[in-house]
Amino acid sequence: PERMLSQSSIGARSRDVFGLRCLPGECVLQRTVMVRKKLTAREGRGWLSGTLFCTHFRVAFVPQDSPKADDNADPILLGDHDIALASIEKVVAVGPNRTKLVTPNSSLKFTPEELVLYCRDMRVMCFLFDRLTPDAQVIEITYTIAKTYQPLKPGSVLAFQNAALGSVEMKQFLSNRRRDSHMNWFESASDWEQELERCGATSWRVSSVNDRFEMSNSLSKFIVVPQKVLDTELKKSFAHFNEGRIPRWCWRHPRGSDLLRMSSFQNNIYHEKDDIRNLEMVLFGCQSSLCVVVELGDELPSPADIQLAHSRLRALCLGDISSSVSVPDDKWLSTLEGTHWLDYIRSCLRKASEVSCLLRSGHLTVALQEVEDRDMSCVVSSLVQVMCDPHYRTQHGFQGLVQKEWVMAGHRFYSRINYHRESDKEESPVFLLFLDCVWHLWFQFPSRFQLTDDFLLALHDGVHLPLFSTFLSNCQRERCKRSQNVGQLYTPVNGWRDMLGPDSSSDTSDPPLPPVWDWALQYSRERRDGFVQPVAPMPPLQLLQNGNLNTNLDTHRLADAGPGSVFLLSRGAFTCPANLPPWRSGGSGAYRKSHRRALSCENVPGLERLLKAWALTELPQNTATASGSKGPLDPYEPLLPLLMGPCMSLWRECYLRGALHAQAFSHPVSANRPHPVDRLAQEVQQLRDQLTQLSPRAAPDSLTMTSDPRRPDTNLNQSTNNSTFLYSALRPKSTPPPTSTNQHTSRGPPSASAPPPRPTRDGPKHSFLFGHSAVAETRSDPRYHPPPGATKLPKSNGSSLTS
Amino acid sequence: MEKSGSVDSLGSKPSSRQPSVDSLSSTSTSRSDRSAQAKPPSVLSSDSVSTSAEFSPELRVKPKATAKKAHRDSDKEEPQLLPNETVQDMAPDITYFCPFTGALRGTVMVTNYRLFFKSMDKDPAFMLDLPLGVVSRVEKIGNTSSRADSSYGVVCKDMRILRFSHKQVDDTLKKSIFEVLMKFAFPVSNGLQIFAFEYGQVFPENGWKVYDPISEYKRQGIPNESWRITKVNDHFELCDTYPSTLVVPVNIPDEELKRVAAFRAKGRIPVLSWIHPESQATVTRCSQPTVGVNGKRSKEDEKYLQAIMDANAQSHKLFIFDARPSVNAAANKMKGGGYESEDAYQNAELVFLDIHNIHVMRESLRKLKDLVYPNIEDSHWLSNLESTHWLEHIKLILAGALRIADKVESGKTSVVVHCSDGWDRTAQLTSLSLLMLDGYYRTIRGFEVLLEKEWLSFGHRFQQRIGHGDKNHSDADRSPVFIQFIDCVWQLTRQFPAAFEFNEYFLVTILDHLYSCLFGTFLCNSEQQRLKEEIPKRTVSVWSYINSQLEEFTNPMYVNYSNQVLFPVISLRHLELWSGYYIRWNPRMKPQEPIHQRHKELLAKRAELQKRVNELQREVTNRSASSSSERAGSPTRSITPVQTFV
Repeated sequence: PERMLSQSSIGARSRDVFGLRCLPGECVLQRTVMVRKKLTAREGRGWLSGTLFCTHFRVAFVPQDSPKADDNADPILLGDHDIALASIEKVVAVGPNRTKLVTPNSSLKFTPEELVLYCRDMRVMCFLFDRLTPDAQVIEITYTIAKTYQPLKPGSVLAFQNAALGSVEMKQFLSNRRRDSHMNWFESASDWEQELERCGATSWRVSSVNDRFEMSNSLSKFIVVPQKVLDTELKKSFAHFNEGRIPRWCWRHPRGSDLLRMSSFQNNIYHEKDDIRNLEMVLFGCQSSLCVVVELGDELPSPADIQLAHSRLRALCLGDISSSVSVPDDKWLSTLEGTHWLDYIRSCLRKASEVSCLLRSGHLTVALQEVEDRDMSCVVSSLVQVMCDPHYRTQHGFQGLVQKEWVMAGHRFYSRINYHRESDKEESPVFLLFLDCVWHLWFQFPSRFQLTDDFLLALHDGVHLPLFSTFLSNCQRERCKRSQNVGQLYTPVNGWRDMLGPDSSSDTSDPPLPPVWDWALQYSRERRDGFVQPVAPMPPLQLLQNGNLNTNLDTHRLADAGPGSVFLLSRGAFTCPANLPPWRSGGSGAYRKSHRRALSCENVPGLERLLKAWALTELPQNTATASGSKGPLDPYEPLLPLLMGPCMSLWRECYLRGALHAQAFSHPVSANRPHPVDRLAQEVQQLRDQLTQLSPRAAPDSLTMTSDPRRPDTNLNQSTNNSTFLYSALRPKSTPPPTSTNQHTSRGPPSASAPPPRPTRDGPKHSFLFGHSAVAETRSDPRYHPPPGATKLPKSNGSSLTS
Repeated sequence: MEKSGSVDSLGSKPSSRQPSVDSLSSTSTSRSDRSAQAKPPSVLSSDSVSTSAEFSPELRVKPKATAKKAHRDSDKEEPQLLPNETVQDMAPDITYFCPFTGALRGTVMVTNYRLFFKSMDKDPAFMLDLPLGVVSRVEKIGNTSSRADSSYGVVCKDMRILRFSHKQVDDTLKKSIFEVLMKFAFPVSNGLQIFAFEYGQVFPENGWKVYDPISEYKRQGIPNESWRITKVNDHFELCDTYPSTLVVPVNIPDEELKRVAAFRAKGRIPVLSWIHPESQATVTRCSQPTVGVNGKRSKEDEKYLQAIMDANAQSHKLFIFDARPSVNAAANKMKGGGYESEDAYQNAELVFLDIHNIHVMRESLRKLKDLVYPNIEDSHWLSNLESTHWLEHIKLILAGALRIADKVESGKTSVVVHCSDGWDRTAQLTSLSLLMLDGYYRTIRGFEVLLEKEWLSFGHRFQQRIGHGDKNHSDADRSPVFIQFIDCVWQLTRQFPAAFEFNEYFLVTILDHLYSCLFGTFLCNSEQQRLKEEIPKRTVSVWSYINSQLEEFTNPMYVNYSNQVLFPVISLRHLELWSGYYIRWNPRMKPQEPIHQRHKELLAKRAELQKRVNELQREVTNRSASSSSERAGSPTRSITPVQTFV
């Protein structure tokens, strides 16, 4: 076993060891003083001096003079400068004239001047050793890191999980943690009912027909089906779909269209007449007129394509100094193009835009169909919802969306991420592709999102850490199985278990894995505050009323559509398939004779108009009319991204984070200088504070308790433009009192209380401007709003100010 | 809200704003700001239709009310003519083949300043407003048989190609309107005057006073014990492409300067551009030495460079940055030019920066033009972009400037910069390194001073490179050197968004008026020519226009890090194509969200809150004065006005 410098004492929640705040049971294996960490452009460039640690869970770096942590605070797995061992992909030592890839078995013939850690999440950590750094410590820590980090394999993942979460204290701590109640987890029937209510989807119901996963292994316990279909009828449909993934409801557009997803039809199953009727009922949902089946196979990349593109992108962006092949700068653009990553993002966004435009027209059913219904349909269905529903552009809404369309819908995270290196053939970062698509939407419409790119980045990095229940199973069934088996099924394989104290080794159960959404485990308060824009985008003015938002898009209405037409959308063209679903030849006659009228292509032009309308919305005049020259912005107008070549940009903050070659000539910059936006936000906050101080009758104490959801100070802001969400945390006073108060308040933007503005942000980011004022805004909210009916601030009301 | 409320609004997009001096007369700028916010949709719709008409340097001089009224009945309205702008010809039934929205029928009007096309085919009306200075050439397309329509392609210097056609005129005596256009688009070739000489607009600010060399050098602390201002070139006798005011080492007398001038191409001796306030390291610029095939030497020139080195006590070295690729520098020996040999110049180190000449740059931009206008091929966009090498050239220029700035700042070493003649690449390099080194040049006024100094006074040949009013479009002397420089500045603003006082619109405006020939600033090739033509007397400076409405061009997020040196990341991975300039004509490229508008809103909010705080504070003071006993106990919190950095 490794020589151990120190072990965090058992019993304490966490403890300082040589200035490192250890997790319970965490062992410091090696420590090196007088190390400098290179800072990335995002961190302000330059470097930081401090101490480098290697524990059996992470490589940690503690900057000099970093404030002493509060011993009673909850443990945080990773500090801002730390990296989990499981995230490390490569260790490279840089000597005077050479670089060497350090493996567990390699021996060093030189004293490294630099240690570079390449990480799976595309970070690159670079530590510089000084003349002052003791040579012995330099070599020791290099060896220790190289020996301790483990290339991923089944045993190492479990060992890692145990190292992080395996101590009694951690287990206890984790089991006592409460789930975030601000988000919908889509685990129970009531969760789904809540969503139905939120969307105003009244003619749908939650069915527990798959309660014991007997109908479909990979579907969740609860699925949403048309009200009028009985479970007994439903049961007969499962056999006709691949893996039993029948058409299920995902989301309802406020204009009354429904989004469904399903797997491909099973062709050769014997069917009865009733089956067809049932299937039609399921497929048409509560719409009688029109159903468009969107085939996702043709135009979207396959998981293998995505995997290849991502691995090329990695190789290109990491700029690994240990590999002899590196892409010269003048070939950067064509090599980037050659990865096809951006092409794939474009095709996903394009498909989602098409679907969004169909849904916007109102009163039809769009069913996404994919062979397995577990990859690209997750991407497209969730992108559509991000584009169309402002709720899903908030942090909690988005988390719910991932639960709904990925976790519960059975995206095979476990196989696709391939933590255990057991499923190389299935490995494919479909979810990361999705995150990049969302980043593109965010990048083009930053003010329409409440979540920020920092949040997307945190989620991106979370995928690479094999600690979260969210990503460690392929479907709900596996997840349930696992949680039942915690403590029974698995025994640790060569884990670090042996090294832990007697207390922990007596408890042989696997650690309970937290969901990734428990951000406090990973990120400090300050970092988490950066996950949302402090001034949230304007929430929809109207609550969804039965999903029938009054629409003036009547020109688009396809009222002429005969009842029961099914169209197939593939490669941008609509067809009326004679055999959809593809029954055996004998059956097709029956199908035609069923309740449906003879299929006709009459409606194709109408549908094509919708898509054409989309193509034109790329032109601004249409966007302009779409974004409502006739009043406030329609919050459900989809965000349709620009998809031309020059508009597809690289998520540099993610993929080029570690690009060390970009640091030439960098000089230490004061890391304490706040970003101008932060400063502006601070100033706005200062002014607010001063106002509160100065307004004589609005004593802070009396204001703190106010809980009026209407926030009646809006007259201050009434003149601001709704379309730019600047002051939108303040709702217009015309907002009617919410009808369902419970729901409304529980889903309101999270009120982060009194966070300080985020620390430094680097220069080249200008886009999330209001991010910061938002901090100020939320912080001030509780105190700032006078209680209902309170006397007005003297001379303070809007009219005099806005003039 | 009236449909075309965009006249007096500030607009919501940088590229779409119609510059307006109304805001000056408006008593409440914040209100006009607000009204602009309230109506972005209409702004959008009206100007998105006139997709290609965004750039309209019209200056609305009428009082606001009239302007509005005039616009309300915009159906009949013609563009508001500038002072001394006169209509030369009008023609109905012209078809404009818009590459984005299809063919449109309408009326064309040609004045001595612009081409104006208006079509009522769309609602709101489609308009195209093109300053004639932008026209590079007009070509007649298709056959000449009398039956067919005549088609004309108007090739523009700002990346566009506009296609028109009209029915063959029956009256053979009457000229086609496009022939009239050609006459006024190329006044120099047709013995006419460039419009800038007729344009009589008066602005509150006088841009000709922006740059005064003496006070600029004084700002830098010059003259000092090592550097002096010489008047030897007062009558442009030493060098006719240099300014009259030059800064040279103290211990080199004027007589010797003349001998140095004899050795430097075109007499462009090394003179000071900038001096480091602490280390006294300097940036000096010149042209190549006339070494020639025989390796000629000049004692005076060697002594002169030694003097430049000696003026900086911090370093015993001098770096000579030759902007050219070494092969080209060597080839120049055949033409009598060359570079400094390290034998002759001891203590000097020569570095080649590998930046290509004006012909390579022109070709690169031409390829880029073909790539972005009118249509873009998505699937091979990046590799096509790569094959233009445009970003690579940008990178090399920035990398060179960075090396210069780094030598001066970190190495505390003086540098000499030259290319062949010292007016193209040299101007790019010195001005970019100065931008990195000195925060003053990152303010609006400072940037204007920088352009006046490094580009205009030191003789960048604007007339030749742009070809104002000259029909000879294939002139080999034309080159986008200055555009390239502005692109580099834009790249810097992307990497340091808070470090520049100006915004993107400022840069676009400068480039637009580089071509428009509305202002005199970019006319002629040198200071001497400008004086001879009495440009400052007879024309308006573009800075008059800009400085009269600074709020349009201000970056709300500017923080004055005055002593901060900028070291940008020079890698293609971190450079971007400036699509806001090169692809701005494509309506599909419109930015989705006008971010600067939100910055402005936040600033307005802050101003509003500050006002409220002040009001309340006054009130508190009044109250505590009246009931002082009550308040005496509580220490009044001192309300310091928050820091203002805009």
